[in-house]
Amino acid sequence: MSYAATALPHSPPAEGPPPGGPIPGGRIPGSKAMWVGIFCEVTEFALMFAVYFIARAHYPEVFHAGPEQLSLLAGTGYTLMLLTSGWCVARAVHSMRANRQSACLRWLIGAFVFGVGYPVIKLFEVRWNLAHGLNGEAGMFIVTYYYLTFNHLIHVFWGLLGMIWVMLRTVTGTYSAEEYSGLESFAVYWHTTDIIWLMIFPLFYVLR
Amino acid sequence: MSETRKLDLAWFGLVLLSVGGAMLGGGQGHGFGVTVLVALVMGLKVRIVCGYYLELPTATRRIRRAMYTFCYGMPIVVILTSVFGDTIARVTGALL
Repeated sequence: MSYAATALPHSPPAEGPPPGGPIPGGRIPGSKAMWVGIFCEVTEFALMFAVYFIARAHYPEVFHAGPEQLSLLAGTGYTLMLLTSGWCVARAVHSMRANRQSACLRWLIGAFVFGVGYPVIKLFEVRWNLAHGLNGEAGMFIVTYYYLTFNHLIHVFWGLLGMIWVMLRTVTGTYSAEEYSGLESFAVYWHTTDIIWLMIFPLFYVLR
Repeated sequence: MSETRKLDLAWFGLVLLSVGGAMLGGGQGHGFGVTVLVALVMGLKVRIVCGYYLELPTATRRIRRAMYTFCYGMPIVVILTSVFGDTIARVTGALL
């Protein structure tokens, strides 16, 4: 019996998802368990965004002046690091679908390097913030900013740990073109973390 | 066009939109029009990630609906907060 024949119903097909628009019924990218986790993550951030919008409605002047206090360069840097890391992960999944394990590993290493760029920039930004008096007592905007961005940083750390895990699994040959649901599960988590940052970035660094 | 080529172009588009979005933040104009533009850029970037990286178009209806609600809901809330900020403050102030 082939491996594909024994795969779980939610495992990705050997050739990957069909190109084009929605397919009847659809499939579960990655695993069901990961999507439960992702919906918990999305719910958590939705609540935090609600806090942001309520605070913004109550203190419009503070939030109007807020982005000027932060480093737009750092915010753009985070965005570019995460987007490039996400692109590398997407290429890694495609490499695995083409049964190119070594290329997949190279893309994952690239994703890790860019992913690590996020906490490195965060370290410099926090030092810069504190040097400019932007601590936990600097007002509603900064408190909300730390609350949301540090929570996102924790999710990035989980993602980086997951990335180390899938790199190890790739090195040991666990994944193949027929079965790579673990790799794809990590990928959907990383892309969701990416999406959340794409929302945080304009709210704190751009919108006045 | 190959799938990998699409991923590369999606990344390039996201980078351009991010740099463009950052320039909006660095600019002087910050009226309602800029808020709508920021929300549109946010929605477009999220759509690209959902479509090309998350592969949501091939996902089950339940996953698609939940994720699109979250992803497209955010830019809408950005605009609504800009328009109805006072009302939101009044209602939430009464509740809190």
